[in-house]
Amino acid sequence: MRPWPLVPALILAVFTATAGSMPAEPERGVTEATLDNGLRVLVLEDHRSPIVSIQVWYRVGSRNERPGATGLAHFLEHMMFKGTPTHGKGEFARLVEQNGGTDNAFTSHDVTSYYASIAADKADMVLRLEADRMRSLLLDPKEIDSERQVVMEERRTRTEDDPDGLLSEEMLSLAFKAHPYRWPIIGWMEDIRRINPPELRAFYDLYYTPNNALLVVVGAVKAPALLQRVKELFGPIPRGPNPPPVTAVEPPQIDQRRLLVKKTDAQLPIVYITWHVPNYTSPDAAALDLLSTILSEGRASRLYRKLVYEQRVALNAGGDYSYFSHDPNVFWMYATPLPGQAPEALEQALLAEIERVKAEPVPEEELARAKNQIEASFVWRQDSVHARGSTLARFELIGSWRLMDRFLPMIRAVTAADLQRVARTYFPADRKNVATLVPAESSPPPSR
Amino acid sequence: MRYLPLVLTLFAISVVTDVAAAPLGRREVLPNAMRLLVAERPAIPIVVVRLFVRAGSAYDPSDTPGLANLTAELLTRGTARRTGPQLDQAIEFVGGSLEATASRDGVTVSLNVLKKDLELGLDLLAEVILTPTFPEDELKRKVAEIQASLRRSEENPEVVAGREMTKLLYPNHPYGHPVPGTIESVGQLTREQVVGFHRRHYRPDMAVVAVVGDVTVDAIRQGLGRRFAGWTAPAEAPVQIPPAPENPPVEQRTIKRDLTQATVLLGRPGVRQVHPDYFRLIVANYILGGGSASQLYTRVREERGFAYFVHSNLSPGRYGASYIVSLQTRLDAVDEAVRLVKEEMVSLGKGSVPAGALDLAKSFLIGSLPLRLDTSGKVADFLINIEENGLGLDYPDRFRTEVAKVTAADVERVSARYLAPATFSSVIVRK
Repeated sequence: MRPWPLVPALILAVFTATAGSMPAEPERGVTEATLDNGLRVLVLEDHRSPIVSIQVWYRVGSRNERPGATGLAHFLEHMMFKGTPTHGKGEFARLVEQNGGTDNAFTSHDVTSYYASIAADKADMVLRLEADRMRSLLLDPKEIDSERQVVMEERRTRTEDDPDGLLSEEMLSLAFKAHPYRWPIIGWMEDIRRINPPELRAFYDLYYTPNNALLVVVGAVKAPALLQRVKELFGPIPRGPNPPPVTAVEPPQIDQRRLLVKKTDAQLPIVYITWHVPNYTSPDAAALDLLSTILSEGRASRLYRKLVYEQRVALNAGGDYSYFSHDPNVFWMYATPLPGQAPEALEQALLAEIERVKAEPVPEEELARAKNQIEASFVWRQDSVHARGSTLARFELIGSWRLMDRFLPMIRAVTAADLQRVARTYFPADRKNVATLVPAESSPPPSR
Repeated sequence: MRYLPLVLTLFAISVVTDVAAAPLGRREVLPNAMRLLVAERPAIPIVVVRLFVRAGSAYDPSDTPGLANLTAELLTRGTARRTGPQLDQAIEFVGGSLEATASRDGVTVSLNVLKKDLELGLDLLAEVILTPTFPEDELKRKVAEIQASLRRSEENPEVVAGREMTKLLYPNHPYGHPVPGTIESVGQLTREQVVGFHRRHYRPDMAVVAVVGDVTVDAIRQGLGRRFAGWTAPAEAPVQIPPAPENPPVEQRTIKRDLTQATVLLGRPGVRQVHPDYFRLIVANYILGGGSASQLYTRVREERGFAYFVHSNLSPGRYGASYIVSLQTRLDAVDEAVRLVKEEMVSLGKGSVPAGALDLAKSFLIGSLPLRLDTSGKVADFLINIEENGLGLDYPDRFRTEVAKVTAADVERVSARYLAPATFSSVIVRK
């Protein structure tokens, strides 16, 4: 999906609490249900516009893959539009468009999400299509081969020919040794080229089951009637096997890691720095989220103010934290130097800001601003039914949509001392990952 | 994921309609000739304000490309009351945002605030429009930033191809140069030029304000009236921009880049929203390359696997319009992919519209209107679009009626006229 924020790998990857936003107050009036076959369902009525957002989230992403078959989850996402015995290839999109709707899907490290927005009185049609493709995908080998070419084109666009995409892929492979976050969501080119129909079928059978899915509906619908239809349409689908747990745990980083990519046709260098940090399960997660806001949200944020505005060394600079990541992930810092500035100097400037957070308490006004920004972003998120739905889903996927109630109080409770402690704990100078891309004059990498 | 191209949003602005029985908004003209459009959306305590001034890159003097953009970028970098950083802090402290961006036709200053902070937001909005100071050091900073962004954009083949195509489609017309100018031209701009551009082009009779959210018409009229009352139009007449050329020469360009994929654009002049063929052409366009049931998507992507991204788009402006087909494909598939695209164009012009395709296009364009108005920001953009292009507040109804009227014969006729391959210039960025 577009437009992309600045670090492409993260976009397909994980929603962040600060860059996105969530409702200011806990959502009222969510109707929830778990069908006998295990399907989780959340319905929220919103009658401001005669439209509805329908989202099916499968708890499967690139973290569920294995080396040698990377990109399976994403490849399968493409195949979900290639037909069932009832609705031939392309029929899903055709029916949605014919009824004035739009739909799309994305794959991340942790989940695969399918979403449609459409006139509320067409909700039934989309639910029927989603129930159909949950269990009845054709996965025709001929279609798989044709879509393989499309996925390879997608990889060329997003990774091979995009300096940010390329460098973020390299960074994750550097930062993770044991955990599946080390390989790209779209998969390595050789794996995309090789993946075969039986593998896609097995992956589909294992993960595309009602007990591994979450259905969220937000819009101008009547919740009881809608829930009844969901039961009729999805209820007959049998429960599937329990997917195997992902057991890989990233060992603590004990070293400093560094890589350099020389890329032809790049115009300016890029610098990324990451550290391993905990996810939402940690009491420190709220502080990390605030820290990312303080560093990078807006022109008053530290990285913009210092690196772009005062020191004039960077074209852009920021940071990113994935609160909702299923497994512990990394905290990112990134910057692009202005022409004539060395990437090494920029790296030092980024690190100096981390050291400053460790050394000096963040002033009260700055802390208050970051909290206000996060709270306001909650309110803004209510403006769209799609955003309301995906916010419910994000919280449900980490345990329950009700966790939303606790998020803002946790943010409000963070103190300047917490920020300092968290920065000292998680950003050690000798256990970081640094990835730099510099423009190369010639000699392109071997064609992939 | 199925690629949803950026360009769709441009198009989306032009095809919106009312979402409910209630009128979309109220239109008034303030005493200083500034036009005001208000849509009340009281459910969420937020307010979006977009102030549009007809001062985009089309108004750049021919020897100073980039002047309009630089002027816009500097609005928020210092006013009579506050420095740039003070403006940033004031708006961000309340979790809001205030941004100014230039496009071809105009400059849009966008204010997003919670309702409780609307007074502060309007103060800042008025300051940046009426009393920007354009400090010399901020200008130097911004010039360096724009130059670096221009340089970085050379990495992006879609941007590189798009710029070249724009040049081909608008020869000797102010639409022909990039909105931000060029690295060289931006480097020449001076503070005097910026101040002069602001004085000349930022005038209330060329401005539209759209306000959407938890407000009332009365309150917002008062709030804006108080702050903008002293803003009056200069005596000199507004600058007039000539219409874009209707038949620019057809040309082929190849730009070398060391990339694994080729980016292909085919382009020609399109028609503006007020043109009698507009509705017919958007229907024909949807059939050709609009959605994921389109001919190009089906043949180039689904059947042959040539592209992840293939799309066609009509983008109308106030002074001209372009029609562009774009795709990205592996190097050895370029010729065949382009051949398929042209074959589909010709085929539509010969009347072979696939069964069901016309109905699908019309039902999508009409049925998806509410989706194109599902956030406050989209409503505000729509209001400005209909006002600036003279479409009228009844445009949504008219849109629905006009699209419904389009026949297969219309599609054949406009396709033969606007989709004839020989009338398209091409730009290919490849190894």
